[in-house]
Amino acid sequence: MMQAQEIMTKDVVTISGSSTVAEAVKIMKDQGLRALIVERRSDGDPYGIVTETDIVYKIAAFGHDPKKMRVYEIMTKPCITVNPDLGVEYVARLFANTRIRRAPVVKGQLLGVISISDILNKSDFVEKPKSEFELYCEDNPSALEARIYD
Amino acid sequence: MLLAKDIMTPNVITISGSATVAEAVKIMKDKGLRALVVDRRSDSDPYGIVTETDIVYKIAAFGHDPKKMRVYEIMTKPCITVNPDLGVEYVARLFANTRIRRAPVIEGKLQGIISVSDILKKGDFVEKPKQLYIEDRLDVAREEARAVCAAKGATSPECAAAWDEVEELQAAAADKRQSEKKPSSLEAYCAENPDARECRIYED
Repeated sequence: MMQAQEIMTKDVVTISGSSTVAEAVKIMKDQGLRALIVERRSDGDPYGIVTETDIVYKIAAFGHDPKKMRVYEIMTKPCITVNPDLGVEYVARLFANTRIRRAPVVKGQLLGVISISDILNKSDFVEKPKSEFELYCEDNPSALEARIYD
Repeated sequence: MLLAKDIMTPNVITISGSATVAEAVKIMKDKGLRALVVDRRSDSDPYGIVTETDIVYKIAAFGHDPKKMRVYEIMTKPCITVNPDLGVEYVARLFANTRIRRAPVIEGKLQGIISVSDILKKGDFVEKPKQLYIEDRLDVAREEARAVCAAKGATSPECAAAWDEVEELQAAAADKRQSEKKPSSLEAYCAENPDARECRIYED
């Protein structure tokens, strides 16, 4: 099974929660990004995320001034994070169940970001669709049901 | 005010509802697209849309075989559409209210597609943030100011503060009207011919 770390985007740009939204928009435009990860304030602090959807839904739609609004006012923190070893099918299921499209990949520290675009473009769900049963058998190769008779 | 047609992506790829999801994925990968518009079956049929979110949430998350599933099984049809002349701020508000991120731009026929990315990258909400319904809010502020002044007295600080707020909204509304005003024929002529006699500006 492909894992999150194989298809994630490793170039992640972080931003401080106290930056202005205008600064976040500039970074996203310049680097062609749809989301930025909000830096932790300490090692025990959770990661946050601010996406283009947050900016359009909460700033552009209301005519708030991005130069006066701060990232912490519109970010999602704590955000759902993904373990680098998680199977891509499980990432897809997690995203569907929680209605998210993007999450930081974290193990001890920030390793990357994984999005539905990564799943669509880099995973093997078209070539090798996996049913619940196949996923179960991969996880439990010694289960009775997983035995293959020749 | 920027309009939907100013920032939309005019290149749209359409797909038939009866195509397989695997075909849709191939087109999206090859062309680097996040959504395809689903063809109408006739002129009176509504447009549909199939996005990468539909594919990941409904196919990849359940291990369904994209080669056996059809676009019509996962598409959104009818989908919310946008008129090319709608202001970008109203597109943003529509998207926020309906929790969508992308919509086809339609007037008679398909003209393009507009997404939150287009709003972020090509909109001018950073340089010129525009508040919606400013005239409505002005009416309310005026009523409230009158009520406050009646209750607290016309010379009270509360009354002054309430009218300050009205004044601020009035300035914003005037500014909005100004920016929406098209240049007059003379202004347009003078922009092209700054040396013409009619365009001289007299200083006194």
